[in-house]
Amino acid sequence: MQFYLSVLTLTLITIIGVAGVYVLTSLAGMFSLGQAAFMAIGAYASGILVVKLNWPFLPAAILAVLISVIIGFFVGLPTVKLRRDYISLVTLGFGEALTAILNQMTGLTGGAAGFSGFPKVISFPIVLVAAIICVILVAFFKKSKYGRQCIALKGDELAAKAMGINVPKVKMIAFLFSVALVSLSGVLYAFYVTYVDPTLFGWKLSGEWVIMNFFGGVSSLTGSILSAIILTALPEMLRFLSDFRMVFYAVVVLLVLNFKPAGLLGTWELTPKNVKKLFQKKKEGTHASSGK
Amino acid sequence: MAIQLLLNGLAVGSVYALIATGFALIFSILKFSNFSHGALMTLSAFVGYFVSAGTGWSLIPVLIVSMLVGGLIGLFGEFVAFRRITKRNSATFYYFVSSITLGTFYESIVTIIVGAGYFVYPMFFSKPAIWIGNFVIQTSSVVMLGISAIVLIILVFVLQKTKMGRALRAVSYDRDTAYLMGIDVFKTISIAFFISGALGALAGVFLGIYNYTLTAQLGNLVVKGFIASVIGGLGSISGAVFGAVLLGLLETILIFFIGSGYAPVATFLIMILFLFIRPQGIAGKSVQEKA
Repeated sequence: MQFYLSVLTLTLITIIGVAGVYVLTSLAGMFSLGQAAFMAIGAYASGILVVKLNWPFLPAAILAVLISVIIGFFVGLPTVKLRRDYISLVTLGFGEALTAILNQMTGLTGGAAGFSGFPKVISFPIVLVAAIICVILVAFFKKSKYGRQCIALKGDELAAKAMGINVPKVKMIAFLFSVALVSLSGVLYAFYVTYVDPTLFGWKLSGEWVIMNFFGGVSSLTGSILSAIILTALPEMLRFLSDFRMVFYAVVVLLVLNFKPAGLLGTWELTPKNVKKLFQKKKEGTHASSGK
Repeated sequence: MAIQLLLNGLAVGSVYALIATGFALIFSILKFSNFSHGALMTLSAFVGYFVSAGTGWSLIPVLIVSMLVGGLIGLFGEFVAFRRITKRNSATFYYFVSSITLGTFYESIVTIIVGAGYFVYPMFFSKPAIWIGNFVIQTSSVVMLGISAIVLIILVFVLQKTKMGRALRAVSYDRDTAYLMGIDVFKTISIAFFISGALGALAGVFLGIYNYTLTAQLGNLVVKGFIASVIGGLGSISGAVFGAVLLGLLETILIFFIGSGYAPVATFLIMILFLFIRPQGIAGKSVQEKA
């Protein structure tokens, strides 16, 4: 039971991170290979504040997220005006730089040996509430003015600009919102697992989040959450295959990419209206499909 | 000392140039960042290691075999991960996800075969260092610089002077028009992936020799090639070479003064600085997002 509860909690933390990447990748069409680095900033900053400076948890968590957002602003600044490829390359370089800093500043971060001594203040209910709040926030963001502007510039940046959308500003808002969510997931992770080390936050984690977003559906939040659950649980279920599970994982994703290019759910969202439509379609049968 | 630093910097820079050109070639032809390039480097560096350990061959045959295998891996990657996406004319999004997944795939294969162990790369040279007057130069640096330079010159010649190179440039300029002109687009893309894979393999083996050890983490050095590409201008081959040499020199000098621990931070700051001052890169060819 304990094991399943911890898998569930880690899945929920992953969902918060994936929701953050959803804002950046599925809505705004930007790829970051450094979101895991912002997760690391959240984890380490809150850890240093609580463990070394004896802050209480809540203000430390808030300040850690704030620090991530400020750093994110400076990382994003040179890239938002450029072609979207730049943000993935710059964030990748940023991740490497951050890993080097975490490894070098042994006095503050514990270096390669890792940072331990987090008090275990996070439990399953807190993570559950946080995940629900984050998902609702992202859903509202998608519906908001900025969310729709994001979708517009994802489709065609030039046309979005011509329609009067301030493209760099919207990109920056999406990036910083994503950074805030991801760094929150870092804070929760650190205070749940009570130990972090720099290797946890490499670009592969960021890449995996992007894959999860894609796997569930190109721009479906429901799909992203679903695939976060499936793709976190899948490697756990495939334990018996040990080394081969990552190969299996990659092959599954490549197959979906090649043969189901819109991802599992495409753009479908879990809303009351859509669920109703789904059931109606089943009742009407041939009529609905011919009308499409 | 200064000359030694300069030569080491050039040698490191020339290896980064191999990574960056392999990356830029794909970027210029399909307009996406190939993130599986690092894992391809790791995979072919291990091929070089096992060939050398198994046969005891000298450097040149090992390099040739690794490059061939690297090229074939590139072809394989294009076929399983990018072919259908290109045929569908999908958005960059798909290339990105596909290349990361492909990278994960390669890397898990390496992990299955070699685990997390360290491998001591074969030396290849009977004399590890050459004395010229008062200063000492590593043989590997000289050989790396020489072979990289020759390979890059051949690449530029092929791209500029041969029919194949012209086809490559035509496809990278406008794929549809090239197709209308009777160029076999998919064959050309396959050739680009073969060349890119071969360059990546060469870089992988050289990085193994330069670092003496080989681990599954070798592929992380691909980030240097990416940074060099950004400095030089995305998608420009000559820009990538200049950017890489500049990065190699700066990095070697920085490591000498501040130590290797903080070097990634310094290279990141250099990249950010370049993006602020000259976002279009040294080559000055700014790739625009197509409407």
